[in-house]
Amino acid sequence: MRALALGLIVAATPALATDEDAAALLLADQTTAAPEGSRNWRVFAEAAVRQSTGAGAPQHGERLSFDVRYDGSFAAGWRAVVADRLDVNRLGNVAGNTNVNTLKEAYLSWQATPERVADLGRINARHGVAMGYNPTDYFRAGALRWIVSPDPASLRENRLGSVMLRGQKLWDGGSVSALYSPKLADQPSTGAYSVDLGATNRRDRWLAAFSQRLSEQISPQFLVSGGTGQSAQLGFNLALLLNKATVAFAEWSGGRTRSLLAQALARPEDAAFRSRLAAGFTYTTESNVSLTLEYEYNGTGLDRDGWNELRRGPPAAYGVYRSFAAKLQEPVTRENLFFHATWTDAMVRHLDLTAMVRYNVADHSRLQWLEARYHWTRVDLALQAQRNDGDPSSDFGALPERRTLQAVLRYFF
Amino acid sequence: MRCAMSRQTQAAAQLQRLTLCAAVVAFSHIASAAPSAQAILAASDAIRNPDKPFGLTVTLVEYRNGKQAGSNTLNVYSKADTNSGQFRSLIRFVAPARDANKLMLKSGNDLWFFDPSSKASIRLSPQQRLLGQAANGDVVTVNLAKDYHAQLVGEEATADGDRQMRRCYRLALGRAATDVTYDHIEMWIDVTNNRPVKGRFYAESGQLLKTAYYRRFQSQLGVERPTETVIIDGLDPNWVTVMRYGDYAWREVPEAWFQRDYLPRFRPE
Repeated sequence: MRALALGLIVAATPALATDEDAAALLLADQTTAAPEGSRNWRVFAEAAVRQSTGAGAPQHGERLSFDVRYDGSFAAGWRAVVADRLDVNRLGNVAGNTNVNTLKEAYLSWQATPERVADLGRINARHGVAMGYNPTDYFRAGALRWIVSPDPASLRENRLGSVMLRGQKLWDGGSVSALYSPKLADQPSTGAYSVDLGATNRRDRWLAAFSQRLSEQISPQFLVSGGTGQSAQLGFNLALLLNKATVAFAEWSGGRTRSLLAQALARPEDAAFRSRLAAGFTYTTESNVSLTLEYEYNGTGLDRDGWNELRRGPPAAYGVYRSFAAKLQEPVTRENLFFHATWTDAMVRHLDLTAMVRYNVADHSRLQWLEARYHWTRVDLALQAQRNDGDPSSDFGALPERRTLQAVLRYFF
Repeated sequence: MRCAMSRQTQAAAQLQRLTLCAAVVAFSHIASAAPSAQAILAASDAIRNPDKPFGLTVTLVEYRNGKQAGSNTLNVYSKADTNSGQFRSLIRFVAPARDANKLMLKSGNDLWFFDPSSKASIRLSPQQRLLGQAANGDVVTVNLAKDYHAQLVGEEATADGDRQMRRCYRLALGRAATDVTYDHIEMWIDVTNNRPVKGRFYAESGQLLKTAYYRRFQSQLGVERPTETVIIDGLDPNWVTVMRYGDYAWREVPEAWFQRDYLPRFRPE
């Protein structure tokens, strides 16, 4: 019947350039979708099952997560933001189960004028333009309570903000912001439902950031950050459009600081000017594939000789160093390479494929991660595989799980 | 002899000048009688785009092979750049729930995407922006007269988006800038009121990228404007996108908002 109607319309409108145009317009006539209203809430639940193999017996685990984010205005110029996540983990072959709540954000924002804003509360203040390693993301240290996925986007999203007072002034093409984050607790908490101020507010910290657009192409950001027991660190961010398909980025932080090893093992003072850097580019093909290659340099990490020496030394020192670096989200060694590829609508509409590789230049170990994600209107189904290769004491070879397979089902309310 | 040739040359030159003058006078009469192609295009742009900063809600419904394959709702604030004349936009994703409250800034080729969950501000290349439906914004909030040179090909009757025959100017647009999305465009504009009727957008290779029909004209912000655009993909005619516009309103949009650092602050009314 519909074909007949379409045929009649096409026949009746010979001046239409093509039959396809007539068919498309007929289809458009049937559109009834009404615009959806904006919502202040975003809520989803996620169920995951995973199977991993490593040094011991295969591990089976399940996870149920609830993620809530509220972002709403309650008076002219006033805005409240709350973001919280609960991960209920059930691991086979492991005594006890782990529930972890992460209060990611809870703050009030006051926009006194369109160009002046002040925020107060727990804020996930994040800086940086690189994808795999962000030297200028100064407030990431200690912010992870539970690692859901090695995907950098997940690590940035599922973390604690720091309690702070922040002010921002904007003008045409630029802005300046300053924040102060006070010491509020002495130690991190392992309590399942703790707000864990000790993880993020163990010392006084401050940061100032300045951005200015110099042209349509160039809009650098300069930062300076410091705090109790830490010399001021300078930072710089730049993302540059090279051509219509390529964005290059560079992110640098430098200042007088101790090496990671001296901090982790309380070794003698070795403060010196050290740099950290991430630089790379993202190229997007005409077939919807975005490829990112990133070089990462951590001047506070161990060089190849130092890393090899630590690996051959006492296991306790090696373990303490690794866990200290992981807590700060710093690479353990000087140089790493990061590769990320996303294929949107990969052959099938609504199917996204993502691949990621982290490569340690010093010990040649690798972390490889693959994800296939299909999304319906309210449901995402993802299959993830992770493989860690390298010598047993290498950066990624030492991870307890060598192979992991995970299926994730997410429902948006 | 040389003198005679010189007089002949002078006379010929004088004749040439007179002929040229006559041609210019004649042409200027013609030109004043009919609007120039560029003026027609600018008038058509003014129907699609309000002349002051404005906000609207865009609903995109996408069809693949005759079946609805997805829909999105966006809040958009737009303002013309005083220098380039081109529109800059702040876009908030409203639906689907997965993308709710994600933001995008488009100011020429300065494109940024912001995810409030991860606080990640990511600079996009125009090619990345072309992925998915966002590229269709180019067919709507763009001042074609600023980026393209128009030539009047002629007048002809063409079927509009409601399949009614309509007398139209047919314009051929060639790009005036190097960084535009489409190499050349064919536009059909109603001779009676300069309403945009249909556009065909091409790549440099000559490949048709998309066809757009402008329809459902309604009075919005003081002008009869198209409130629906039907876009047919040039490579896959079974990929059809319907873009509907509503909630038009004048908005105050300070210059300071068109930068990466404002994206986390943007909340449409």
